[in-house]
Amino acid sequence: MTESAIGIPIPVPAAPKVSPRGGRLLGAFIPRFVTGITILLAWEIVVRAFAPAYVAKPSTVVLAIPRVIVDPAFLTATRITLTAVAEGLSIALVFGTAIGLLMGRSPAVERAIRHYVNGFYAVPMIVVLPLFSLWFGYSGATRIATVIFAAIFSIIVNVADGARSVPRDYLEVARAFRAGRLSVLAEIVLPASMPYLLAGFRLAAGRALIGAVVAEFFISSGGLGYFILYNSRVYHHNEAFVGVLLLAAFGVGFELLVAWCTRRFLPWYRREERN
Amino acid sequence: MLNSNLRRHMPFWLSIAAGIAIWEIAGRSTSAAFMVPFSETVVRLWQLIAAGEFIPELLDSGQLFLTGFVLALIVGIPFGLLLARVRVLRVGIEPYIMIVYATPLVALIPFILSMMGFGFAPKVLVVFLFAVFPVLYNTVEGARSIKPEMIEVAQSFRSSEWALWREVMLPYTLPYTMTGVRQAIGRALVGMVAAEFFLSSTGLGQLIMSASQNFDTGGVFASILVIGLIGVGLMRLGLRIENHFARWRM
Repeated sequence: MTESAIGIPIPVPAAPKVSPRGGRLLGAFIPRFVTGITILLAWEIVVRAFAPAYVAKPSTVVLAIPRVIVDPAFLTATRITLTAVAEGLSIALVFGTAIGLLMGRSPAVERAIRHYVNGFYAVPMIVVLPLFSLWFGYSGATRIATVIFAAIFSIIVNVADGARSVPRDYLEVARAFRAGRLSVLAEIVLPASMPYLLAGFRLAAGRALIGAVVAEFFISSGGLGYFILYNSRVYHHNEAFVGVLLLAAFGVGFELLVAWCTRRFLPWYRREERN
Repeated sequence: MLNSNLRRHMPFWLSIAAGIAIWEIAGRSTSAAFMVPFSETVVRLWQLIAAGEFIPELLDSGQLFLTGFVLALIVGIPFGLLLARVRVLRVGIEPYIMIVYATPLVALIPFILSMMGFGFAPKVLVVFLFAVFPVLYNTVEGARSIKPEMIEVAQSFRSSEWALWREVMLPYTLPYTMTGVRQAIGRALVGMVAAEFFLSSTGLGQLIMSASQNFDTGGVFASILVIGLIGVGLMRLGLRIENHFARWRM
């Protein structure tokens, strides 16, 4: 930055020539590795210098990992949270897709519910927690409900966008062949909205994970969120942080999975964006 | 003129009226602990405002939101632009930004609580953390959309650093940054409520919590209604900002 301000060009942008893939990956690897080490070192040093002993730092978190991942309490918590996220996401996916398709293809439905879908989508999802706990009690049902609420609107919004943008020609051909309404929805509109569905699912998965963790903080029973809450309350920050790492892995895993699905199954979509 | 305007907004008002009617009927046919009708929600909201409980909490929440959000912009935008310009920094740091962006940061709240306690600062930190990563993530995305050849061409024509920023960097990255700003508004709002729920109870979050603990369902509905409307309003504002800059997008 400072060098460039006095006119000396920065040497880096010469790198991306038409190099083979391996060369480019190697070129990215070194700065990434150095940055990673720098972040970990900075964290370690700052915590050692300024924070009390219980605060999580890389060296002690690493030591905690083998201990935590065989801890039955941790495994149960993981299973509970993952099951709830999977259930909630599936429900949100089925109903969200159905509502989204209807909304995208029927102007009447669109006009009737658009403002509510957009409105609920804009509501910070966690405000409904006290209400849901009033309705469903301090139980797993509140968690599922929160996950569904967190996830469904991003799916509806995206699927509706997708259904709206189906090329006219497809629909006209279907009509010319006298296809029924339902089969047009299922066989033309749905596949054509797939990229939007995946984009919505990607958002929904992230929000579902947040919803599950927040609900577990709130209802204080079971799950990874509660595992983290409990362990940090009793000053086992290292153990609690392993839970955070696992959540991060899920978050990143969802992102990568959706990216991979888009590349693998929808190669026709947004080809120009892959550079 | 008036007539066509009315006709254009007719579906909106019809749909809102239908929604309120459904809410009213559902509220009247269920128990009051479960759900309160729209009319009672409005009455309860008015009572809270008249009792002087509502406005101070609203301002309190607003202060928290604005402090965290503005800090996120002050840090996120310049840092994002720096990453956009210095390629080696961007390449090095972008996977980590992506990881943190995809991590449910609410999970950090218990740590913040036990390290920083119950003051204003830890809550600002939560809002800041929620808001800063969308800005960074999207700015970096924008930076990736700049083809290296563009910069090479600009430099081989001896374009000054200022011209390079004005003609290449900003037009390419800022629209993405503004997408990040829109997302950040939504996330900062979630962060605000999360901080008010799980750190020291203040503001609108505290209002909802105490209402639900007192089984004051009307109070819960009134607070959720207000936060919902604020969310919708802020989201519109965000979309407007985003669309304003989207015209630059190439």
